[in-house]
Amino acid sequence: MNLGATAMTLSRDEAESTLRDISKTERRSSNLFGYRFGAPHLFLWGAIWMIAYGATYLRPEWSIVWPILIVVGVIGSFWLSWRAKSARADTFGWRYGATLVAVFLFVGALFAILPPHRDAQVAAFFPILVALFYLLIGIWTRGVRMVVLGLAVGALTLFGYFDLPAYFLLWMAVVGGGGLILGGFWLRHA
Amino acid sequence: MDQPNAIIHQPVRLKIMAALRALPQGEQLEFVRLKAIVGATEGNLGAHITTLEEAGYAAIEKDFVGKRPRTRVTLTKEGRRAFEDYVADLRTIIDATRRE
Repeated sequence: MNLGATAMTLSRDEAESTLRDISKTERRSSNLFGYRFGAPHLFLWGAIWMIAYGATYLRPEWSIVWPILIVVGVIGSFWLSWRAKSARADTFGWRYGATLVAVFLFVGALFAILPPHRDAQVAAFFPILVALFYLLIGIWTRGVRMVVLGLAVGALTLFGYFDLPAYFLLWMAVVGGGGLILGGFWLRHA
Repeated sequence: MDQPNAIIHQPVRLKIMAALRALPQGEQLEFVRLKAIVGATEGNLGAHITTLEEAGYAAIEKDFVGKRPRTRVTLTKEGRRAFEDYVADLRTIIDATRRE
């Protein structure tokens, strides 16, 4: 590169305009890469929600599947990130683990201070938390699709909780789990 | 007087380089995705990628996924360095005129 030559032949306006183009393209590329990276995780967790909420709806005693499927989900997420073999995946492992620990600590503290009175409250709380994460990721990465996903998951969860209490678990299995899977397709084809 | 790096200083190639630079180092971008990001026609994009490859800025890998051919493009170390120099030059121009 020739700094002097570039400086001599480009005006400030041209330089600013070019930097804006670069920034816009980089953001779009980065978002699409993030979507591609995130889509398989949505498929995985969508399937887990479908099975776990569906099982709990059919037979409350089958709620035992939750801890098992959460472990499957965590291991599956590690495997998906390892399979991606990208530079981002290299740092994914410890960040993912640290995030899970932080979330467990937060939830433990929250439930100690504000203990839930009904199972449905717990069932609604975690999707709301997931929705919050999607929303925050979308806001900070300017990922419009993540913002939409976060708002959709949050709104659908609240609708099911308040307006369909008798079918809430079924609602979460079909709409929540199915929504995540559809969201995964939506991200993958961005 | 030398001109700015003519290989990078071209709208389509600039976008290709920016799209590749946004990825983690060594990460490849599929041709079809690059086409969607850059907004160029297939032929036009292919020609500009070839120019970048000939300059040593981009590397192309072709393979098959099942029976479908797949072309993936990645930024070389040299390309990343050249692009970062180019961006630094742009900032230098802006800073220099700000001080005037």
